[in-house]
Amino acid sequence: MTDITIEAPTKQRSILFEFAKGFVKENPTFVQVLGMCPTLAVTTTVVNGMGMGLATLFVLALSGLVASAVKRIVPGEVRIPVYTVIIATFVTLADLFMRAYVPPLSKALGPYVPLIVVNCIIMGRIEAFASKNPVVPSLVDAVGMGLGFTVSLMVLGALRELLGHGTLFGVDILGPGFRPMLVMVLPPGAFLSLGILMAAFNAVKDRNKLVLVGG
Amino acid sequence: MRRMIIVLTSVMVLSGLVLALADTVFQPQIQANKHRALQTSLAAIFPKATKPQFKQLPIKKMTIYRGTDASGTLLGYAVGIVTNGYGGPISLLIGLSADLKKIVGMEVVEDSETPGMGARIADDWFRNQFDGLNPLQTITYVKNEKPDSAKNQIEAISGATISTKAVLSGLNSSIGEAVSLIKASSGQQESNK
Repeated sequence: MTDITIEAPTKQRSILFEFAKGFVKENPTFVQVLGMCPTLAVTTTVVNGMGMGLATLFVLALSGLVASAVKRIVPGEVRIPVYTVIIATFVTLADLFMRAYVPPLSKALGPYVPLIVVNCIIMGRIEAFASKNPVVPSLVDAVGMGLGFTVSLMVLGALRELLGHGTLFGVDILGPGFRPMLVMVLPPGAFLSLGILMAAFNAVKDRNKLVLVGG
Repeated sequence: MRRMIIVLTSVMVLSGLVLALADTVFQPQIQANKHRALQTSLAAIFPKATKPQFKQLPIKKMTIYRGTDASGTLLGYAVGIVTNGYGGPISLLIGLSADLKKIVGMEVVEDSETPGMGARIADDWFRNQFDGLNPLQTITYVKNEKPDSAKNQIEAISGATISTKAVLSGLNSSIGEAVSLIKASSGQQESNK
């Protein structure tokens, strides 16, 4: 049986960079395009997007922390099942908590809370980062990615709620004269909004890069 | 090899312990939430009653609640019905008058119908159409015309005929049976006296 060697830690970068990269540079939704299933399915309102984002953030942060802490004890061959059990444990905790204390949100998110277990952002961050880095940077990386994901889902939810219901956070914004574009809260609206936002995000990102190169 | 087994087993056991603990902490609150949601739906069927009380009838085949008001007067019954909608199961509560001759209310407890389309089965105008209909006669729907409640008709939701049909098929297939089950059960109670 061959031993899988743990790779040397990636080049040391500042804690601030590890935190901030989740928002723009390596944004999980608009740049890495990970976790598309909940992104498309639950972002019908800002609150749903925020709930999903925060639940993912909780699981991401704690499983990243634990995975990083146990990385020297866990043999490489069984690391994936171990990580899966760690993630599933935190997901079940989040699910039970939401069902007990925020039942309306739990009902709105339906099966997508248990499905955080298979969210590729989480396994992705553990494999790419937490399993190779110390505890503190791993936690910072996970919180940054989780917040980046939460903000992305909220922006997507805001666009869809505004156009699909004329409201934001359930508060009427566009007034009674506005005829809701129902398609925006239906599945096609999810793809349309995501495409538009992704294009806008990358346009802004590319322009900044050009300025940097040119300057 | 041995290390792999030890690590994996301890991770599983530890996870099991954490979850068992969390379950004992959260489960009472979760059950209380479920109970409260059901009580709210039941109370909504008899809005005029003060402090309505509901007791499930001892019938295995169907979920039927007997509602009484604060003074113990019989308000009517609420029948739980699950039917297949467009987006998944629809769970309904149908209110029956105390003499079992009229439908007195309809509440949508849970549904996964399309927002703005089938989900309008929970809108007041749609639900109120059922008030006063005869539970022992088949309820039908009409489109683009005024429904005649004397003929046990309701108006379908435009653009959501499947959801409308789902509600009606659930009602038509179970409510008659519910009425006879209630009669049988109250008959038994009478003869026991």
